[in-house]
Amino acid sequence: MSNSLIRVHNLKKSFGGVKAVDIEDLNFQSKELTSIIGPNGAGKTTLFDLISGFQDEDNGEIFYKDKNITKSQPYKIARLGMVRTFQLTKVFDRMTVLENLMFAGSNISNDSLLQSIMQLSNQKKYEDSLKEEAIKVMEDLNIEQMSSSYARELSGGQKKLLELGRSIIKKPDVLLLDEPLAGVNPKLAEDLLEIIQNLSNQGITILMVEHNIEAVMKISERVVVLAEGALIADGQPQEVRENQKVIEAYLGTGDE
Amino acid sequence: MIDQLGNGLLLGIIISVASVALSLLYGVTRIVNFAHGEIIALGAIVTLFFSGPVDSRVLFLERFSPLGMSFITSAIIAIILCGVFGGLLELLLFRPLRKAEVGNIAVLVVTIGLSIFIRHLYLLFATGRVQNFPLELERRETYLFFEMTPRNFKVLIAGLIVMIIIGLFLTFTRIGKAMRAVRDSGELASVSGINSDNIILFTWISSSMLAGLAGIFQAIINDVRYNMGFLILLLIFAGTVLGGIGTSFGAMVGGLLIGIFVQVSVALPFMEGHTEAKNAVALAIMILILLFRPQGIFGQKERIS
Amino acid sequence: MNLSIKWVVAILLTIFSICLVFVLNDEGPLRILFNLLTFAGIYGLAAIGLNVHFGLTGLLNFGHASFMGVGAYVTLLLIPHAAGREGEITESGLPFLLALLIGVISASLFGLLLGLPAIRLRGDYLAIVTIAAAEIFRLLVRDLESITGGVYGIINFSDSLQRYRPLFLENFVSKYELNPSQVWVGLLSWISILFVLLILRRLSNSPWGRALRAVREDEDAVRALGKNAVWLKLQSFMLGAGIAGLAGVFLAFNYGSLQTTTFVPLLTFYVWAIMILGGVGSLSGPIFGSIIFWVIISETDKLASLIFENANGQQLAGVRFVLVGLLIMLLMIFRPSGLLGKKEELLLNVK
Repeated sequence: MSNSLIRVHNLKKSFGGVKAVDIEDLNFQSKELTSIIGPNGAGKTTLFDLISGFQDEDNGEIFYKDKNITKSQPYKIARLGMVRTFQLTKVFDRMTVLENLMFAGSNISNDSLLQSIMQLSNQKKYEDSLKEEAIKVMEDLNIEQMSSSYARELSGGQKKLLELGRSIIKKPDVLLLDEPLAGVNPKLAEDLLEIIQNLSNQGITILMVEHNIEAVMKISERVVVLAEGALIADGQPQEVRENQKVIEAYLGTGDE
Repeated sequence: MIDQLGNGLLLGIIISVASVALSLLYGVTRIVNFAHGEIIALGAIVTLFFSGPVDSRVLFLERFSPLGMSFITSAIIAIILCGVFGGLLELLLFRPLRKAEVGNIAVLVVTIGLSIFIRHLYLLFATGRVQNFPLELERRETYLFFEMTPRNFKVLIAGLIVMIIIGLFLTFTRIGKAMRAVRDSGELASVSGINSDNIILFTWISSSMLAGLAGIFQAIINDVRYNMGFLILLLIFAGTVLGGIGTSFGAMVGGLLIGIFVQVSVALPFMEGHTEAKNAVALAIMILILLFRPQGIFGQKERIS
Repeated sequence: MNLSIKWVVAILLTIFSICLVFVLNDEGPLRILFNLLTFAGIYGLAAIGLNVHFGLTGLLNFGHASFMGVGAYVTLLLIPHAAGREGEITESGLPFLLALLIGVISASLFGLLLGLPAIRLRGDYLAIVTIAAAEIFRLLVRDLESITGGVYGIINFSDSLQRYRPLFLENFVSKYELNPSQVWVGLLSWISILFVLLILRRLSNSPWGRALRAVREDEDAVRALGKNAVWLKLQSFMLGAGIAGLAGVFLAFNYGSLQTTTFVPLLTFYVWAIMILGGVGSLSGPIFGSIIFWVIISETDKLASLIFENANGQQLAGVRFVLVGLLIMLLMIFRPSGLLGKKEELLLNVK
């Protein structure tokens, strides 16, 4: 199984006695579009946090591209090509949309103080190319008219787009999308879904936590179901939908 | 080292009481009140004014004569006045700020400005010199292992009793539980019918009264100075951090421990000739704790970073 | 455009304050003005450094005085000086510029040292830690008498800088009966401000500057996008600390002697008041804030003499600080963006 892009083994995490995640084995293949669903509190975001390094596990190991990233810091994991978004969008409020994207797009070493001082003369060229990239992403996402607006003036849906744009401009190998459609109006949700589908077609591996089951069914190649921290189903969308355990898990919480 | 232990306990009890006060306030309002030290000083200054010998004119620009009342009465009045002061601060300053949704950093800076403002008003109009309460000098006696004056010993006992009362209060009374509820989760609390504005006011008043008491203790054990609050403010922070932010019990224990560390450190070999730097030891401890165990001894892993 | 109005107001207020100096002082207004401008330059420089910490990166640093102190002490101890009661004279030393460079770098390194534990902490804890560290610094300075000269301080170092004083300055100074050493220090501080601002302006529109602002906004997002938020904060800390160190050196040369009581935490509050007044996050804000602030401070000394006949040193200081405290409070409550700060960019919440 060593060609699995992401491997999770024996992963456990509890909060004050309550088990948030308890997964023995879970692997994700390259270029796959997988949705992770489950009732509230099932541990989906925690799983993302653990994989992307934002939380420490109590037990277990995580491998990415065959590298053990269990104890790695979030920024290092991101540099390896795994970029995530957040359930509650984390756009940079007091920076413009353009600046948000230019920040994301700039190469690591160009962010260093020394470089910035030394490159003072070449800076213009670098900045211009960054700007071009950012504009292209904005156009792809249809937000180029908001380019000079402060991020905090954006609507909820537009913020989701911006956060997605920031992730895309980094040309990631893996995208961890945490509820990308939450709170977004149906028309925009459709557009977002199309964009995500396109990204998948371009070869980016996508893991998506979502509550919008219709969307999940529409574009996922694979669906993973978590309930109370544990894996209860894993397979193609249709089979999962008809899985008895899944139905019970959802009924139990009065969900769809 | 043993004698320092006694001093340590005395310093510790002052810091404890003040730490609990600060911790309660922080827990309920999420405000780190840098002006806390000034309320501590207020307790001492007001007590001095009420109890000072008539016509000794030690305070307030030497224009007003102290009232020469009994010490205990003065102390009680002072504590009440501190409570009133705290209540006014909440009503006139912090509540409007809260309603205007001013962010915590701004409020923090406001409390820093407030502390500078008040402290130097004390300097100008209360007292620029070191003063003492009009109490008789006593000789030190031995209590168990420690040597201290009978009065100081009473302070120590009084302090311990106060802490026990606070502990019981928080655990068993309705208001106490309401305070803990607001502390643990403000929004939920208001949904369950607790009026957080009233709780917050109550917390300001009681925190200020405790601070005033701590100031009186400090003045009994040491003296009255315009900047007495500022001097121990950092130690109070250290005590709260050590014990665990967000737990009153932690603040009590942390405060006592810091007091002991500070005084005992004087006896350490490398401190020879540098006794003034004993505070630095406590501060260094605080920084180390924030580095390695930010929740302190009893605190829960709150989001510290 | 809104931007211009703020600038016009700032410039007008500054000019007004300067005129006030002439109006309120019959004797030697020019001398007072230049004295004031020197302090304004020094503190303005320090405030620019603090702005890098708070305005640009959102770091609550209340130990700024210690950075200034480190810069001053290291530099002074490396040049010829006399320390302590016996006036232990150190005859030789490094060339001034080299000593200055080492001093500024030391201040930066001290910033790094302070930053390492502090940087992982949330806002209010960072404030407490920086105050604690500055207090430790003050206590150490006071106790290490053999190095810092204890109560007597360090003296006899001015020459290292004053010998570079240009001739045209001498002529100017003697015409108006000013203090040449002070004017020289003042001139140097303002030139430094100019240089530092030029560099910072370039930097804040650079990838690095953007990165700092992003860190100020949301560290988690910064990490999720592959940037090392901690290291970025440390760099900002070091830069602001270095600038403060430079200001500290100028302060020491302005006084001509360095006492253990020069770099006390209260000094930090002056710098904070200036930064807030000038406008948090505005690069040139501290310039205006500093001048206006010092006019206020020096003129209120008169106020002190009115209230207290024959105000002694303690009372003068008291009045000053009452005003500083009041100023900080009123600004934060009613006009947190100060003169030139951008309201949309105010950081008011600990995340």
